[in-house]
Amino acid sequence: MKKLSILLITTLAVFLISCDVLDTEPQASLDANTALTDGASAQAILLGAYSRMQVTPYYGAHFTLSPDLAADNARYQGFFDSQLEVNSGSVPISNLWISTAWVNMYRVVNIANLLIAEVPNVTDDAFSTRDRVLGEAYAIRALAYFDLLRVFGYHFDIASPYGMPLLLEPIENNDFNLIPDLERSSVAATYQQILSDLNTAIGLMEGYVNNTVMSYWGAVALRARVNLYAGNYGDAFDDADDVIENGPFALVEDVQDLFDTTSPTSESIFDLVFSDQDQSALYVFTFQRDEYNVDPDLTDAIEPDDERAGLFVFERGSDRPVKWSNPNNANNVKVLRLGEMFLIRSEAAVFDTNDPNAGLDDLNEIRDRAGLDDLDPFADLDEYVDALLQERRIELNYEGHRFFDLVRLDRFEDVLNRDAFRRAFPIPRDELQIQENLVQNPNYPTE
Amino acid sequence: MFTNFNMQAFLCLKKQKVKVAIALFTESISKTTIHMNSKLIRCLKVCAFLLVVAPFFAADAFSQQREVRGLVTDSNEEPLAGATVVVSGDTQRGTVTNSSGEFTIRAASDEVLVISFIGFQTREILVGDRSTINVVLQLDQQLLSEVVVVGYGVQTRSDLTGSIASVSADDIANQPVASLDAALQGRASGVFVSSPSGTPGAGITINIRGQTSLSASSEPLYVIDGVPIISEDLSGLFSGGQATNSLADLNPNDIQSIEILKDASATAIYGSRGANGVVLITTKRGVSGQSTIGFNMYTGFQSITNPIEMHSSQEFLELMNDAARQDNRDLGTTYSDTHVSDIWGFDPNDPNLQNTVWYDEIFRSAPVSNYELTASGGTDNTRYFTSLSYFDQEGVQLGTGFERISGRINLDSKVTNWLDFGANVTVNRTIQNRTINDNSLYGVVINTLAGDPLMPVFEDDGSYADPFNYFGWWMLDNPVLIANEYSRFTNTVRGIGTIFGVASIAEGLSLRSSLSIDYTSLDDEAYTPIISRESRNAQRNGFGNYGTTQDFTWLVENYLSYVNTFADQHSVNAVVGTSFQASNREFSSINAQGFPSDQFTKLSVAAQVTSASTSGTSWGLASYFFRGNYTFDNRYLFTTTGRIDGSSRFGDNFRYGFFPSASVAWRMTNESFMENQTLFSELKPRISYGLTGNQEGIGNFASRGLFGVSDYRATPTLVPTQLSNANLTWESTRQLDVGVDVGMFQDRVTFSADYFIKTTDDLLLNRLVPGLSGFSSVTDNIGKVENKGFEFDVRGVILSGRDFSWSSSFNISFIRNTVLELEVNNQILNDSHILSEGQPIGTFHLIDHRGVDPQTGNMLWIDENGDGVIDSGDRRTVGNAQPDFFGGWNNSFAYKGFDLNMLFQFTYGNDIFNHSRASYENLGWSRIGIPGIFPLPDGNNHRLADNRWMEPGDQTDIPRASLTNLNWREYSSRWLEDGSYLRLKTVTLGYNFSPSFTDRIGMRTFRVYMQGQNLLTFTNYTGLDPEVNQNARNPLVAGSDFGTHPQVRTISFGINVEF
Repeated sequence: MKKLSILLITTLAVFLISCDVLDTEPQASLDANTALTDGASAQAILLGAYSRMQVTPYYGAHFTLSPDLAADNARYQGFFDSQLEVNSGSVPISNLWISTAWVNMYRVVNIANLLIAEVPNVTDDAFSTRDRVLGEAYAIRALAYFDLLRVFGYHFDIASPYGMPLLLEPIENNDFNLIPDLERSSVAATYQQILSDLNTAIGLMEGYVNNTVMSYWGAVALRARVNLYAGNYGDAFDDADDVIENGPFALVEDVQDLFDTTSPTSESIFDLVFSDQDQSALYVFTFQRDEYNVDPDLTDAIEPDDERAGLFVFERGSDRPVKWSNPNNANNVKVLRLGEMFLIRSEAAVFDTNDPNAGLDDLNEIRDRAGLDDLDPFADLDEYVDALLQERRIELNYEGHRFFDLVRLDRFEDVLNRDAFRRAFPIPRDELQIQENLVQNPNYPTE
Repeated sequence: MFTNFNMQAFLCLKKQKVKVAIALFTESISKTTIHMNSKLIRCLKVCAFLLVVAPFFAADAFSQQREVRGLVTDSNEEPLAGATVVVSGDTQRGTVTNSSGEFTIRAASDEVLVISFIGFQTREILVGDRSTINVVLQLDQQLLSEVVVVGYGVQTRSDLTGSIASVSADDIANQPVASLDAALQGRASGVFVSSPSGTPGAGITINIRGQTSLSASSEPLYVIDGVPIISEDLSGLFSGGQATNSLADLNPNDIQSIEILKDASATAIYGSRGANGVVLITTKRGVSGQSTIGFNMYTGFQSITNPIEMHSSQEFLELMNDAARQDNRDLGTTYSDTHVSDIWGFDPNDPNLQNTVWYDEIFRSAPVSNYELTASGGTDNTRYFTSLSYFDQEGVQLGTGFERISGRINLDSKVTNWLDFGANVTVNRTIQNRTINDNSLYGVVINTLAGDPLMPVFEDDGSYADPFNYFGWWMLDNPVLIANEYSRFTNTVRGIGTIFGVASIAEGLSLRSSLSIDYTSLDDEAYTPIISRESRNAQRNGFGNYGTTQDFTWLVENYLSYVNTFADQHSVNAVVGTSFQASNREFSSINAQGFPSDQFTKLSVAAQVTSASTSGTSWGLASYFFRGNYTFDNRYLFTTTGRIDGSSRFGDNFRYGFFPSASVAWRMTNESFMENQTLFSELKPRISYGLTGNQEGIGNFASRGLFGVSDYRATPTLVPTQLSNANLTWESTRQLDVGVDVGMFQDRVTFSADYFIKTTDDLLLNRLVPGLSGFSSVTDNIGKVENKGFEFDVRGVILSGRDFSWSSSFNISFIRNTVLELEVNNQILNDSHILSEGQPIGTFHLIDHRGVDPQTGNMLWIDENGDGVIDSGDRRTVGNAQPDFFGGWNNSFAYKGFDLNMLFQFTYGNDIFNHSRASYENLGWSRIGIPGIFPLPDGNNHRLADNRWMEPGDQTDIPRASLTNLNWREYSSRWLEDGSYLRLKTVTLGYNFSPSFTDRIGMRTFRVYMQGQNLLTFTNYTGLDPEVNQNARNPLVAGSDFGTHPQVRTISFGINVEF
């Protein structure tokens, strides 16, 4: 009897135990299918798009710095091959930065796609910010696609077929088997999608002002930049003018003050916010490490008396950009700021009218702030472009512009002395391996 | 007087001190905080001293010889004819037993008889005042008839149909290593052990029959007394790729035997965790009879095996000047003969030049010791084994060390005539003190690599010298500062406990139930000091990290065993049962910065907490298993096993899997046609086939589509973190094994040979997915890898005389690893490795060269893609980290009371990417400086740079020195070297005092020994040590050496005493 009872108890215990060892749930994650359920979760996912912009390959370091490293503003003296390759101008298709940039920019696109598809269907009566969330999502998608186009596409040639693959829907069931194998859209179609998203965003967000997200003015300012790149100079002028004249922004008086703070300034249209608790890697890469040291060519180009010379500090054998000098990596990335709007309005005015002096006032506005004298009128467009590039270089260095400026203003070959096909970075090797329909940019290897 | 004093001390020790010491030990375990009880250690050291010194003062005695008779039998009371009986220490007096097992010999009462017989354990017996001495000899466990632990049971070796290697306690006990896995090296065929780093307590890699997995773990499952334990690195501390080793939580001396299950027949009963082989560890248990108190200790010193010789300051300056002169010749520059030393402001011939030998500054001779007390014994109803031990190892590199205090109680009790009950409990505390190492910016060894000899360790004012004030670009911070001032502690408390009951239900049928837990509480504490460059560059004023990991795993197992023999011919041995295991793990981590001074390292004084987090995870496994053995007429053996595993880790579509195996063996020696031969005592061909799985090393929720939490503007956000894969399942390995076991001359020589082919399908791999999904990869079952090879094991008694014996064992394994299928071929894994179909795991992919041009002294790089530029696009497959063969050769000699054991271990044909040379063979390349104005190379060069090209016509593989980057490519085959080596892994010379002597001083046995580890190494490898692997436990990128902590050479002295 005793034996039997022991046997019975044991058997019973086995069946009781076996029930639930296989039912485990993650403690710090949510199932993707149930993540977006109401207004609060939509808001959290929207902010998630910004935290994905903060990653190191994107605005958190490399995308912000690489356009200077790939041009003549920064030089590599460090350790990581990935930056050495960007600096050399000859970027192989296996380059680590382009591989990670592609994925991380598209991650932002996918978050926006989810919101754009699902936010209109969320049943939540208390969801009062539905239009804003949706509008921000469209603006974010436009920003990510524009950044993708600038790195990987022929943004400088509206007639080119080398635009971006346009994924506009969320991945069904989050199932990797259902990721579509898209072809690249043309550059014109890519611009069209970006502008269409911005138009929708602007329509949804009227009156919404917030300089730490892509709110109304961020969308308008981005549209100014996109139109400028696309050669729609009239539209670019109008948007830049709108931001300058009607937006709640003012140039910071002393150029030092613009970067002497980790908070948004009166000039911030869209600051991507970093803090001690939520750090970028910008200080790490510019001060602690030597991947993005200031090229003496940049500091040599600063005119005497230019107060922006004070934006460089000499440490450990090289100049370092004061813009990223917060040791806790807490400097905000100024994705869109008013200074650039003056330069866009100047450039748009000139190219819209072909009058080299149509944008002189705006150039002088920026020079004036830096303590420099006004420029004399230009004899021709070429002279204007020289002055514009000089101003953009000194004003916007280490903010992610230089390489793209040289490309779109057709000074790439003159200044950098490289083959024209390198105006766009290559499509990453990993992507070509698994997407049959994806076409490499001309002259780059496909494997 | 003095003699008496010592004898008294001994008696006192025997009767009192042991109790006191045990009490102290018990007390100390409850009190132990971070540092061990120093009083206790002192006490143990005194005991040890007394034990060693006392015997030499013991008085000698003299007695009269007389006739002694006796009978020698085996344990079944069968007389043993031909057994040798000798008087210890007198080779003239010896005899052999007659056909009835009887003997007669003349001996004095204080003399010892040594009784030996092949196949049995030798016994030594004090004559005393007896005139008749009957002796029972026990079968030697080393031989084929030994009992072997298998999954859920035991079998005799002769009944095995699978491939199982056994390693006995003698092979692993008392070696000056922190963990048992280190002691397995070279002991068994098919088992490749590598110690990736010499850091005390560091993780060790074991691959049984090759690497079956690319992304999941290729480490075997460890099962201790039936409990599959957590064997992964639980530390959250960043130390540069050097894992901690949770097996170092166990005292190797507690182990009775280790069985290594290799083929599918043996491992399939462990189902989804069996694919990488299974290591069954059995700890010691009490034996009924006399109680035994044992004391073991050893202490020794460690040093590094192969220090790298670097140039002196003078040679450093001269090499830099040579680089300038070579550039003049080759590039047409016009530097002066003393170009660099002039710019730097030194005269190479100045006898007062600072001359720091950096390796000497970070490496030291370091002590290692172990102290252990055991008590075991029991009655017919209750048996016990208890042990307490303290292991203390200082690292040969400044700033490293490992301590462990461990206790164990194993208990067996017969409750009634049908119910047995038992418990195993072990509790350990370990403290690992590490520095950052390997490929990390602030590693100690890596910053030492090209240390500028002109830089002192300390400035005149006593402060640490700052490398940025000197001429080496490489050094980011003073390595002595990093070693001394950084702190990185991992403290672990671990308990593994089992209670079990075995009930006899009917004749031959029993039920075993057990409940086990494996609990680990680990905390990590790290501090980066204010004075460090790392902190100063980031203006953080010192920063610290504190993290905890708690892992709680429970296991409930029940199984029925049935053993019976029908009609004398049909033997059946069957097991069927269930197993449920679940594990829960909680983590926390806090980072803070801004410390008032380096004297405070606790986070409470930090000005600012920069991040804090807690999280947790869990997994579960529900299993049902069986094993059936059937033997017909002791000639034909059949085994079949199977396990159904359900795992929480896998996708909804494939949650349960079935893992069967079958095997057959034929004991030919029991056939009638072999009856009349005496050559073979065993001849057993066998074959097995089966399926096993691997579900380790993969995320607990890898199959789910997930959103995780991040933040923006101090607000929590939701971000997609993973795509879903509902089809995710285990890696499945099919293995065929064909082998033979041979015993000759009554098993005096035994031999095993196996051929195996092991194919792993459905590899758990990161499948690249289109990046436009926002993800680069998902975990998926793709790819196929194959391991096949031959294994040979020979052991034999070569000489067996009265006084001298020599036995030897040799094993060698030839294993070929090949990646058969990948989702995407030719995946470039990092700067030095590639994964390609048709190539093994760990294949090097580097810029290649055709040597040095004898005319110019420049490297002849191969422009693989023909684009006219040498860059990363020119890499090609140049070698791999897999050895062609490896093995071990063990020799044991005994002469009277002396024993000598020598284990050689070897590996042949693997390549090592000696990445460190890229730094200390810079040959003057000025990475950051401007050659004409201010050259600034990585730093100093090693002495092998003397073989560089100097004059046209020189034939050498080291190029000319140059201030420019002509010949230096970081990821090139210039640094690829042959990693083959032959190593005298261990040598032990011991002396067993004779029973006549030990009896007189109140001991049962007394042994003293000297041991050496890694005493001799034969290799062409130029780095610190050929046993390296920068990325511990990631076989995909194996075989790189980049500032890795080297292996150590240890010389130790020890004693073993039993009372």
